[in-house]
Amino acid sequence: MSTLSLARTDEGLSKAARYAILTGVLALAMAMSLMLGYRQYTPLDVWNAFTAFDGSETAVVIVNLRLPRAIIAPLTGASLGIAGVVIQTLARNRIASPDTLGLNAGASLTVVVASFVFGISSLAGLSSAAALGALLTSLIVFGIATSAGGLSPLRIVLVGVTIAGLGHAIVEVILTSNEAELEQLLFWLSGSFMDRPISLALNGLPFVLTGAAIAVALARALDALHADDSTAASLGVPIVLVRGASFVAISILTGTAVAMAGPVSFVGLVVPHAARKIVGLRHTHQIAAAALVGAIYTTLADVLARFVIYPTEAPVGALTAVGGGVVLLALLRRRAA
Amino acid sequence: MTRARTAPVLIPALLAAATLLALAGVAFGSTWIPIENVAMVLVGLGDATQSLIVLQLRLPRVVIAILAGGAVALAGYLLQRVTRNELASPSVLGVVDGAALGVVIFLAAFSNESNALILPIAFQPLAAAIGALAAIALVFVLAGQQAASAIRLLLFGIAVAAVAKALTTVLMLIGPIYRTNQAARWIAGAVNEISWSEIVIVAAALVPLVILTVAAARKLPPADLDEISARSVGLDLPVFRILIFILAALLTAAGVAFAGGIGFVGLMAPHLARLALGRGVYTGLIGSFVLGAMMLVGADLIVRVAFAPVEVPAGTVTAIIGAPYFLFLLMRKQRNDG
Amino acid sequence: MTDNRITVDALTLGYGKQTVLNALSLPIARGKVTVLAGPNGCGKSTLLRAIRRLHRPASGRILLEEIDIAKLGHKDMARQIGLLTQSPSAPEDMTVEELVRLGRYPHQTLLQPWSAEDGRAIDKAMAGTGVAHLRERALGSLSGGQLQRVWIAMVLAQESDIICLDEPVNHLDMAHQIDCLNLVSQLNAEFGRTVVLVLHDLNLAARHADRLVFIKDGRVEAAGTPETLMHEDMIRNVFGVHSKVITDPVHGRPMCIPIGTAPWRKMVPVSDT
Repeated sequence: MSTLSLARTDEGLSKAARYAILTGVLALAMAMSLMLGYRQYTPLDVWNAFTAFDGSETAVVIVNLRLPRAIIAPLTGASLGIAGVVIQTLARNRIASPDTLGLNAGASLTVVVASFVFGISSLAGLSSAAALGALLTSLIVFGIATSAGGLSPLRIVLVGVTIAGLGHAIVEVILTSNEAELEQLLFWLSGSFMDRPISLALNGLPFVLTGAAIAVALARALDALHADDSTAASLGVPIVLVRGASFVAISILTGTAVAMAGPVSFVGLVVPHAARKIVGLRHTHQIAAAALVGAIYTTLADVLARFVIYPTEAPVGALTAVGGGVVLLALLRRRAA
Repeated sequence: MTRARTAPVLIPALLAAATLLALAGVAFGSTWIPIENVAMVLVGLGDATQSLIVLQLRLPRVVIAILAGGAVALAGYLLQRVTRNELASPSVLGVVDGAALGVVIFLAAFSNESNALILPIAFQPLAAAIGALAAIALVFVLAGQQAASAIRLLLFGIAVAAVAKALTTVLMLIGPIYRTNQAARWIAGAVNEISWSEIVIVAAALVPLVILTVAAARKLPPADLDEISARSVGLDLPVFRILIFILAALLTAAGVAFAGGIGFVGLMAPHLARLALGRGVYTGLIGSFVLGAMMLVGADLIVRVAFAPVEVPAGTVTAIIGAPYFLFLLMRKQRNDG
Repeated sequence: MTDNRITVDALTLGYGKQTVLNALSLPIARGKVTVLAGPNGCGKSTLLRAIRRLHRPASGRILLEEIDIAKLGHKDMARQIGLLTQSPSAPEDMTVEELVRLGRYPHQTLLQPWSAEDGRAIDKAMAGTGVAHLRERALGSLSGGQLQRVWIAMVLAQESDIICLDEPVNHLDMAHQIDCLNLVSQLNAEFGRTVVLVLHDLNLAARHADRLVFIKDGRVEAAGTPETLMHEDMIRNVFGVHSKVITDPVHGRPMCIPIGTAPWRKMVPVSDT
């Protein structure tokens, strides 16, 4: 790898300026999410819908249909972005993510089991099921990885992808044998922000904040885990404790994201790379930047999804999967993993 | 070598088991038709209702399961042999998803407003073949030198498969809803609702491919050598590899063109064939085909019996059985990770 | 208060059924450079890691001053002992500064994540190892010698009073070996840090050690100054090598010139010149 490609653009803008730009872009993306779609609205329409809701079709679409996704999409993206940062450090693997390690699919499976087999419908119940699914999957994947005498990072990803495939197959069996609609199937296999009630975001927010808070509290220990285990331990990092807490954070973040929007693919894979490019490797910054970048990414993907096969809406998970697949190929080619 | 000697016994035993399984595949279903009645129908002496069920409903799905499972297993055998990678298979190298994308593009692009295909259905395997070839070419071009590492090659395959699968999902939504349903079933891998005319197309495509496979078989042992040694025994390995990849892609396309994405048959069947029959090329090919056929017939039987009256795609069953097997293989060996 | 900074007391330790250290006892003097030497697999690296509590002993204990390390907290431990392992790793795109900062981890708390003191310590560590000009460089772009100095800078930033280095010059060329070990000697001389090194090169060990410890089969075979330890019988006993020990004409330290392995010598007698 050449020196050039490793150099980061640390000169130039200060970190504060970078965060300001990211925040600005996020605000813009959320505004676009409110304005653009099957019908286009002006900023004035949006302003009126919020300040003087008159029950007109425009106002109803903006407040009841567009607003929930303008909030759920960034929340999901931020959640998956942070989860991606933590999991990549934990696995010391730049192609690890909630998707490539099967956590998304695991969460998706437990939600489907909870709702179709046990008839659970409360949001808290589904979120817990999703978090539990993500946690169990992460334990299985990392358990397999360590029990086999330390699998190489690449092999762990193969294990994760295979377990994800298994989860998807079981989801498919459950949904088809319950004669679920194709749309439901697509939702639980690839995720979407369409037609999600805003209560999802309100219920999800405390979970996302909890997960993010754990991640931030772990930030310096995660910095030390950039080095090998022996070095980290000799720096005084309680490795087992940090790993355990990280699993909890990842599971809460991934689980909540899946409960809100289904398994939106590859967000957690792509976002940390962008975050590191922007603010470097230190986790306090990586986590903050990943939250913003993740939010921007999913919000823009959600807007784009309304146009790629206009007037029909594409599943946003399929778009992020294309983007993520391409990024994964690029990472593999660069031997970044 | 001892296993190779047992092949003459094992292969007839396998064929017998496959025949039994196929008969069971015809006999079981929403109504049970005794085996002797099945036999009567097959020789043209059954009663009218049973003839209808057997000949028009059950036999086609058993036959397509045999052809598709066998073809994909053959493709898997070729890929595993020539990449010297026991984890290789059409599905993990993106070939199956590439074929799926080809078919969905075909269905979306060549339908008129009333959702009827404007091209003969016989072009569907061609679309699958183009998609499959494009996928495997993309995997190997992108992987470049890294293709030598078993694990890296697979990851390239998985990434290409993910992209193809996502594009397929998007395209499925463009089509009208009934076609979308059909496409969704197709992607999951299902052998129901197959007509004899479709089977004829698959069989016609498979005959030359199987002949080519048998013709290529004698060159497979020297292909185990490194490039220079292979050349010194008269085999241009890079060219041979590419030919085998093309052959494997076409076999996969023919197999999945109508039967859909049947996961993991192409991984497990060749593997089990090698465990049971040793490294002999011809026994390996026969064993792969028979075992692949048995797996898909068996999986279809399971979904018919276990989930009736709902039709769960058979591909999900092969995936649920195949995924743990793949994990087992992953954990077993720890070399060549590059 | 004793003169021993570290006391290893009847330490037994193994991986699974295999015993690596067998009731090993060893005092390590304060403010001195102690070098652990011995043949491959003798347990010298394991001992170093055990001192840093990276392995749990089966029996026995290790004292820092008079305190059993089993009773120390993770960060307490890290403020007292810095360890550079044999092949440490970090992401290629990490910058030098980001890596050196890791050394401050044990000094930081959740409420005070970064202090001026931390900044001063990493500046000093980078200046002391001569890597200050590399601050913004990515680790993947450094040469082997530069990288090793950066890792040492990280351990220095820890400002622990004990520094343990496991084969710090293993992959370095001759010039970098000298630089690196001179740096270690200087740290010891200027700041009175207690240094424990694992070195397999006996002559480097003899040159830099205040005290040399020979380890064989998980036990201390002999300990003392290089002058008392470096003689031909001892080297044959510990390393299985027939050698000639002379006095290094430049440093005045004992120096070993290997002649052949011991069994070989029995078969083909070599005349002592």
